[in-house]
Amino acid sequence: MTPLTQISLGSLLLAGLISGCAPTVKIEPPDKPIVINLNVKIEHEIKIKVDKELDQLLTDDKLF
Amino acid sequence: MKSLLKIKPRLLMLLSLCVLSLNAFAMTLQEAKSQGYLGEQLNGYLGLVQNNPEAKAVMDDVNTKRRAHYETIAKKNNISASDVAKLAGEKAIAATDKGNFVQNAQGKWVKK
Repeated sequence: MTPLTQISLGSLLLAGLISGCAPTVKIEPPDKPIVINLNVKIEHEIKIKVDKELDQLLTDDKLF
Repeated sequence: MKSLLKIKPRLLMLLSLCVLSLNAFAMTLQEAKSQGYLGEQLNGYLGLVQNNPEAKAVMDDVNTKRRAHYETIAKKNNISASDVAKLAGEKAIAATDKGNFVQNAQGKWVKK
């Protein structure tokens, strides 16, 4: 037996051992649909835009 | 001739009165604010702190213009005009000069 085959055999055994011991992990899809809320970002962008436009408006001393 | 001379000073007085009243009507927004007639409200519009017809005229005029601007901004950003107005109110109160009247959270007029 060459050292290489020894190593590969060993790793095979190890892999078998690990897989044998490893508990099965079940991934279940959630029963509710996944909702990612992007409203926050959009609201933020609008707020910044409106903010700028209002700042512009506030410089008019006939209006404010 | 004599009667004309007699009328003339009267005419002059009437004319000067007209000019005076025109001048009085031309109260600017900044004057109305600094003289304590108008103040900034939380809703983004001017409010009458002290009753005065000239100040009220200025207020109505400016508020109409403000409303138009709010509506333009609201439409452009797809939000309600009252939301824009409220944000404008916060900004206007923050930006108003010291000594001018602003509306506090309780809706009362306070000198800034």
